[in-house]
Amino acid sequence: MASLSFRNVEKAYGPVKVIHGIGFDIDDGEFVVLVGPSGCGKSTLLRMLAGLEEISGGEIHIDGRVVNDLEAKDRDIAMVFQSYALYPHMTVRDNMGFSLKLRRADPKLTEQRVADAARILNLDKLLDRHPRELSGGQRQRVAMGRAIVRDPKVFLFDEPLSNLDAKLRVAMRAEIKALHQRLKTTTVYVTHDQIEAMTMADRIVVMHDGIIEQIGTPLELFDRPGNLFVAQFIGSPAMNVIDGTLRRLNDGVFVEALGAHWPVPANIRGENGQPVKYGIRPGDLRIAGEGIAAKVVVVEPTGAETELLLQVGDAKLIVVMHGRTDAQPDDTVYLSIDARKAHVFDANSGTRLD
Amino acid sequence: MKLKAVITEAKLLLIGIPVLLWTLIPVYHLFLFAISTKDSATSGRLWPKEPTLQNFSIVFHQQHFYLDHFWVQLGNSLFIAVTVGALTLFVATSAAFAISRLKVRGGRTVMNLALFTYFIPAAFLAVPMYKTMGVYGLLNSQWSLILAMVTIASPYCIWVLKQASDKLPFELDEAARIDGASPLQLFRLVYLPLMVPSLVAVGTYSLLLAWNEYLYAFLLLSNDRSVTLAVALGNFLSADDSPWELLMATALVYALPPAAIYYAFKRYMVSGLTAGAVKS
Repeated sequence: MASLSFRNVEKAYGPVKVIHGIGFDIDDGEFVVLVGPSGCGKSTLLRMLAGLEEISGGEIHIDGRVVNDLEAKDRDIAMVFQSYALYPHMTVRDNMGFSLKLRRADPKLTEQRVADAARILNLDKLLDRHPRELSGGQRQRVAMGRAIVRDPKVFLFDEPLSNLDAKLRVAMRAEIKALHQRLKTTTVYVTHDQIEAMTMADRIVVMHDGIIEQIGTPLELFDRPGNLFVAQFIGSPAMNVIDGTLRRLNDGVFVEALGAHWPVPANIRGENGQPVKYGIRPGDLRIAGEGIAAKVVVVEPTGAETELLLQVGDAKLIVVMHGRTDAQPDDTVYLSIDARKAHVFDANSGTRLD
Repeated sequence: MKLKAVITEAKLLLIGIPVLLWTLIPVYHLFLFAISTKDSATSGRLWPKEPTLQNFSIVFHQQHFYLDHFWVQLGNSLFIAVTVGALTLFVATSAAFAISRLKVRGGRTVMNLALFTYFIPAAFLAVPMYKTMGVYGLLNSQWSLILAMVTIASPYCIWVLKQASDKLPFELDEAARIDGASPLQLFRLVYLPLMVPSLVAVGTYSLLLAWNEYLYAFLLLSNDRSVTLAVALGNFLSADDSPWELLMATALVYALPPAAIYYAFKRYMVSGLTAGAVKS
């Protein structure tokens, strides 16, 4: 159990800087997910925390102690790799007990700890097998078992579910979450999958091109994305974004786009005539009797929900509505928008305007 | 479809049978000499009139001038081959681990320089090697031959092991480092067990290289009691009336251990020497 702190952390490979001065804190027991598109530096940041990559600048603290020059083995962390990285020549039991064996722990204690971890992860019956005799999900659990057995200060996960099929991924997601609730060990989890981030994290750190775009709880990021990147990255299906112009007239403020007036929150900043990006989540668009006219292009019923692809002007919008609809392709429907649900970003900087 | 299979099979046989004969006829010739009496050895028959094991008896009981030190020389061959195998394994494994896993700076350059020595035929290096051993005062010591053979075998072994090491996922090393392994523990507990097939292949290769070596053994060793059996076999030809049947019987005995080793480890030889031979 430990708190973590990144202070102006930088990483450069020769002249190429890949992480540009990142700073944030992680509380004791927190489950933090680093998320971002590939190449954003999230894995590099994790590997610097693990001690597998040199820290080019700044400081990383674990429990108040600077670990920049500490060997990986002295940082008291455990890591789960995307490829599992199980030792192929050892049984599950030996894989899980390896770190304790290296520390010359009492064999009885090791046996006990391995047995405990195996029970938690449902690996009891597999202890004498070799990794090659296990399925992907089982291997993943052994990798987690190896981490648990050590009782480390911090768990690190590097895209641990990427090699699993979709169904297993959902199941393992819940298992990891349950494990964290049980052990309450500080956890840093790297993924490119925003749904994994949303479902598992206490807090999410959204990264892009080596900087932090936003830090917040999953719902904060969903409800009030701080900039256009986060708005488009978080949420599935992605937020609808259209180009428009901010209008401040006597009868109020709105965004003019695609030949229609789009409502915005009352406290919006920005000047009349400023180019903006207008964002609205697919679930926040309502089909109503009147409003902005749109032509139906595709109707995709999924049972509980129906997804509609609509054409407004030359832009395509996605609407997710609960229940079902009679709308057919080429029908015209009308969209009503709750002004408080709209997100408006400056077109140039991408920053949020309310 | 069936005809096609037959034709393919026939083509393979057409190539295979000559290759097999090409390989086996000298061996059969050797065998034929070994079981013939002195008089009938060169008779030209495909099977001797009176096959005999007498030659082997003479060899094993050292009952001929050329065979006075047969057992000692066989022991020399064995000692030298095993020592060369072990030393080469040690050198090559350490080097490959350092170059491939620890990524020691300049490691690749060292490996390439070592491989570069193969541009010069070993025969050209024999005299400089002789001179060098003289400088170190090792002439007539079996260590001169052992060190020379390790030098010759190592570059190739390092290269093979380095290629095989590169195939091990690097995450294993990282996982072990996080688990608390020092480089030596990583080497002993993770690297070596995973490299066993390649180690067997490389060890066998260097062992057989030393076992079969003639030129360097002939140059560096001269005392009858310190030479290897390969050199002793060569000495048979120093007289005009060489006892060919004894030479061949001894040669057959000498050829058996490599055949046995190769047969025992053939599984590793094929997979170990080709593993990582090409970038995949």
